[in-house]
Amino acid sequence: MSEKLKSPGMFSVRRTFYVSTRVLRQFVRDRRTFGMMIMMPILIMLIFGFALSGEVTNVPIIVQNSDQGATVFGNSVNFGSKLTDSLGKDSRVSVTLGDYQAGITEIDNAKGYFASILIPKNFTNEILAKLNKQPVNITINLYIDKTKPAIRASILGAIGDAIKSLSGQSFINVDEIGAFGGASYSGLDVAVPSVMGLVLTFLVLLVSLLTAIREDLGGTKFRLLSTPLTAREKVIGYVAALTLFALVEAMLVLVFGVYLFGATVKGNIWLLVFSAFIYGMVNVFLAIFLSNFVENELQAVQMGPLIAFPSMALSGMLVPVESMPPVAQFFSQFIPMTYAINIFEGIMLKGFSFDKLVPQFQALGIFALIFLLFSFLSSRDTMK
Amino acid sequence: MKYIVETENLMKHYEKGKIKAVNGLNLKIKEGEIYAFIGANGSGKSTTINMITGVLKPTSGHIKVMGYDMVKNRHKLSQYIGVAPQDYSVYTDLSVEENVMFFSRMYGVKGKIARERMKSILTILRLEERRKERVKNLSGGMKRRVSIACALIHNPKILLFDEATVGVDPVLRRDFWEYFRSLKENGQTLIITSHVMDEAERADRIGLIRAGVLIEEGTPAALKNKYNAQTIEDVFLTLSGDEAVDE
Ligand SMILES: Nc1ncnc2c1ncn2[C@@H]1O[C@H](COP(=O)(O)OP(=O)(O)OP(=O)(O)O)[C@@H](O)[C@H]1O
Ligand SMILES: [Mg+2]
Repeated sequence: MSEKLKSPGMFSVRRTFYVSTRVLRQFVRDRRTFGMMIMMPILIMLIFGFALSGEVTNVPIIVQNSDQGATVFGNSVNFGSKLTDSLGKDSRVSVTLGDYQAGITEIDNAKGYFASILIPKNFTNEILAKLNKQPVNITINLYIDKTKPAIRASILGAIGDAIKSLSGQSFINVDEIGAFGGASYSGLDVAVPSVMGLVLTFLVLLVSLLTAIREDLGGTKFRLLSTPLTAREKVIGYVAALTLFALVEAMLVLVFGVYLFGATVKGNIWLLVFSAFIYGMVNVFLAIFLSNFVENELQAVQMGPLIAFPSMALSGMLVPVESMPPVAQFFSQFIPMTYAINIFEGIMLKGFSFDKLVPQFQALGIFALIFLLFSFLSSRDTMK
Repeated sequence: MKYIVETENLMKHYEKGKIKAVNGLNLKIKEGEIYAFIGANGSGKSTTINMITGVLKPTSGHIKVMGYDMVKNRHKLSQYIGVAPQDYSVYTDLSVEENVMFFSRMYGVKGKIARERMKSILTILRLEERRKERVKNLSGGMKRRVSIACALIHNPKILLFDEATVGVDPVLRRDFWEYFRSLKENGQTLIITSHVMDEAERADRIGLIRAGVLIEEGTPAALKNKYNAQTIEDVFLTLSGDEAVDE
C-alpha cells in the first residue's frame, strides 16, 4: 500500500509572494539594472527633446471656403478657391474641404485633424477693396492644435505660403485661435509624453525580460520546477514584482520630466501616473510572455529594440500617425505604444480627463489581457 | 519488496529520436538505500534524474515514485523529493541563507522550523560561518554544498544528488558520505550519480548505466565478486571496454 500523498495546494499565495520578494531582492541588488532605470530616461529625454521639433508633412486640416468671389471686367475671380488650391498642393498639409465649426469639434476631440480654416464670405471683395486702397481688415479664421510645435510650424508655413501666392498679398490677417485653451509647448514639453512611452516600452520590456530569463541562466529553473511551485504561481509572482518596478519607473520618468525638465502636465497628474502604470504593466506581461522564447541575455537585449523600434516608428512618436502612409497607419493600431502616447499627450498637453481617453484605455486593457493570457498559456510546469 | 522509485522501460529521446539519452531504463530503488547511479559522460544520468524529479517529461515509459505515477502526480510528489542538480542551481546574487530560506518556502516549511533546520544543515555542511555571504563569492565546492543544503531543507523522503561530490575535497567528501549515511539512518533514500568510481563503493547498491540503458546492478561486493575485480572502477572498465568515455 502506498502512503497517501498530501496536497501542496493548487494555488499558494505564500509561494507566489516569496517568488515576488525574491525577484525584487535580486533586482535591487543588481546595480547595472538600477543604473539603467535612472540614467536611461534622462538620456532619452535629453536626446528626443531636441530631435522632436522639426517640420512634418501631410498634416490633416479642414478648410471651409465661404468666399463668394466677384466679377471683375467680366471675369469671375475667387481668391478663396486660389488659396484653397495652393494649400491643397502644399505637401506639408493634407486638405479636407468641410465645415469650420465641425472641424473645431474634430480637433477638440483629437479626431485626427490639427487645424480648421475659415475663408470669409467677402474674401475676394475685401481683397479687391484693399487693392483700391480702401481701409478694410481681411481676416482668415484659423483654429489650430498648437500642442505639437512641429505640426503648428507646418500648418502656419503652408498658410503663409498660400497667402503669398495670392500675388504677394501680405495684408491678410490670420486670426489664430489655439485649441485646448491655446496651449502651445516647447520641444521638450512635447517630447516628454513620447519619451515616457518610449522609456516604458524599452526599459520595462528589457529589464523585465532580463529578470525573467535570469531564472534559466543560473540553472535554478530546474530546481524550481522540481518544487511544488506551479507555473501559474511563478508567472503571478514575477508579474507582481515587475509591476512594482514598472510603477517605480513610471514615477521616475514623470519626476524627471516634470521637475528636472519642467514639462507641463495640464491634466490630472494621478491619472497620468495611473496610465503610465497601466502601460508599464502591458510591457511587463509582454516581457513575461516573450521570455519563453528567449534563451540568453544576448537574445533578450536583441528583443528589446525589436519591439521598441517598430513602436517608435509606428506609434506616432516621431511622425504623427495622421500623416503616415495608410499601411503604416493600419499597423499603428496594433502597437500598444500608439495608445499610450495618445493618452500621455492627451493628459499632459491637452488636459484631457479619463472620459475622453476611454477608447485608448480600453485598447491598452485588451493588450494587457492578451499578453497575460499568452504568458499563462506559454508557461509550463515541465520542460520538453 | 517495496520500491520507492521505479522506472519501467523509461525513454527520453531528443531530436526526433536521433539522440537516445535514456533508452529503456528499468530502475528499482529501495526505500532507505543509498543508490549510486554511475556511468560515463553523456550516458544519461542527469536526464534520468530530471525525469524522476518531474522536470523532464519522458518520451515513453513510466516512473513511479512512492507507488504513484510521477507524471500524473508531479505536483504532490514534488514535496517528497529534494534534488541537487548537476549545475549548482542556486541564486548566486542571494546569500546562502536567503537561498535556503527561499526554497524552504517553496516547500511550505514553516519559518521557525526552517531556520532551526537550516542552522543544523549549514553546520554539518560547514557553511555556518559563510551563511550571510552572497553565493557568487563562494568557491565551487561551497556552492555545491549550498545546493545540497537547498535540497535538504524540507526533509524530503527521496534525495537526488547529481554529481554531488564533484569539486569537493577528499576530507569533506569523506564527511559528506558520513552525512549521507546519517540521512539514510534517518529513513531517507539517496540516489547519487557519479562518474567517480571509488565513490560508488560506499553506496549500498550500484547501477551502471551506458547509453541510456542499465547494464549492471548490484551491491559493490557482489559486483566485484562477479567480475573478479579489485575495485568498482575495474568492473566498470571491464564492462565498458575501451569506449568508456562520451557515449
Ligand atoms: N536538451 C537536450 N537536447 C539534445 N540532447 C540532449 C539534451 N540533453 C541531453 N542530451 C544528450 O543526452 C545524452 C545524455 O545526457 P546526460 O546529461 O543525461 O548525461 P550524463 O550521464 O548526465 O553525463 P555527465 O556525466 O556528463 O553529466 C547526451 O548525449 C546529451 O548530449
Ligand atoms: Mg550529468
